[in-house]
Amino acid sequence: MVTVTGLSKSLDGRQVLRSIDLDVRRGEIMALVGPSGGGKSTLLRCLNRLLEPDEGTITFQGTDIRDVPPVTLRRSLVLVPQESVMFPGTVYANVAYGPALQGTADHEHVVRCIADAGLPSSLVHRPADKLSGGEKRRVALARALALRPDVLLLDEPTAGVDPKNVETVEQHIVEFSRSRGLTVLWVTHDVSQAKRVSHRTAGLRDGTVGEINATDSFNWEGVY
Amino acid sequence: MTGIPYDWLEGLLVLLGASVLLVLVVVISVIKNMGIAREMLLAVLKGGGQLLAIALFLTFLFGFDQWYFLIWLLLGTMVAVSGHTAARRAADMPGAFQVTTPAILAGAAAALVVLAFSRAMPLHPQFIVPLAGMAFGNSMKICSLSLERLMREVRANRTAIETALSLGATSRQALEEYGKISVKASLIPTIDSLKTLGIIFIPGAMAGLLIAGTDPLVAAEYQIIVYLMIVGGGIISSLLASTLSRPKLFTAAEQLQPWV
Repeated sequence: MVTVTGLSKSLDGRQVLRSIDLDVRRGEIMALVGPSGGGKSTLLRCLNRLLEPDEGTITFQGTDIRDVPPVTLRRSLVLVPQESVMFPGTVYANVAYGPALQGTADHEHVVRCIADAGLPSSLVHRPADKLSGGEKRRVALARALALRPDVLLLDEPTAGVDPKNVETVEQHIVEFSRSRGLTVLWVTHDVSQAKRVSHRTAGLRDGTVGEINATDSFNWEGVY
Repeated sequence: MTGIPYDWLEGLLVLLGASVLLVLVVVISVIKNMGIAREMLLAVLKGGGQLLAIALFLTFLFGFDQWYFLIWLLLGTMVAVSGHTAARRAADMPGAFQVTTPAILAGAAAALVVLAFSRAMPLHPQFIVPLAGMAFGNSMKICSLSLERLMREVRANRTAIETALSLGATSRQALEEYGKISVKASLIPTIDSLKTLGIIFIPGAMAGLLIAGTDPLVAAEYQIIVYLMIVGGGIISSLLASTLSRPKLFTAAEQLQPWV
């Protein structure tokens, strides 16, 4: 589905990614684990072309992403960044943002995405910037789902979520990935979360991918 | 009404008399060791020198048969200087001059063309030079404010812009909100001045005409014309500065430039 070959990227004179090779399969949830500053977020930003790699190639469904218009690419490979910025307006307006840009906002679909992200219907017309951190994370997830993506790039999707709700959010993501056949690349620094949610795991440390393996067989010793 | 009741030679004596206040301020600043005397004197000499130079140039221009050649030269200088000055507000934007110069030129030119066609500006250097100065000066000021605010908004909202891009927005859509904010902010000083016209202050053009002995009603009408020009030209400059900044802020692949 998404294949990364020999990807390198430097930021501010520091090499953040070094010759990364990675293959994410259709319909799987792959956890990307490793310590902070290891290049996980940079890799996600390269995948949806918010950043341009210095070397290497990324293909999506067999096509080099440089041959796909960036706006089209980002509607298929949707990034949910670590910081959930809410746009002015209600939860509904935020979730409908992406489809509205394309003129394809479908009321029922938007409402379903809000529910799939685990948000109660009472929040639909609330101003999005008044929500708690955890609720904002779910709005960000619903906003990404509303685009009907092929791949979700999740950067620490439970950061800021109340600990007692973390597993609920995880279950929602796993469930909508399964029901929609959605491919997910899930960045987390939490080993136990990777074990709970993913089919396969890749370890990223100091800009280099170490082991890539089925999560059940992954050697967690060398990750941190 | 007769305007100022003396010629330029008497004017020099009056100027000396009026300088008493400045001398007093300089003496106080030296005694109090405020450290501004030198800078203030230099500023007065520089500003005064520039005004006298333009006065000599205008004296020559008003009596010159082929004045239109010189007018083009003067307008060209105004374009270059105003574009360069406004670009310094966004010094870290590569090629900011390519944004500010066309933005200021379009705003000022639109204002001057309207003035010429509405007969508010007879095609004579006596009218063209001061009105062009006002048009370029105000477009420059508004363009600078717009660009400075836009840069500030983009830097403060980098994550929001990238979030919008991540959701399939084009750079134009992602920047739209901040463009509006910058245009609005750049016009606030002008709109505030409009609201207080004649109450808190009598603006430059009207004050000049009154001192020159013009009927107050005519002076007020002319001031309104000048303000219409300022607002209209300013909006054009501000909108263009925001629009032309987009290719500077984003790459061809709809990514924020690394320097932002």
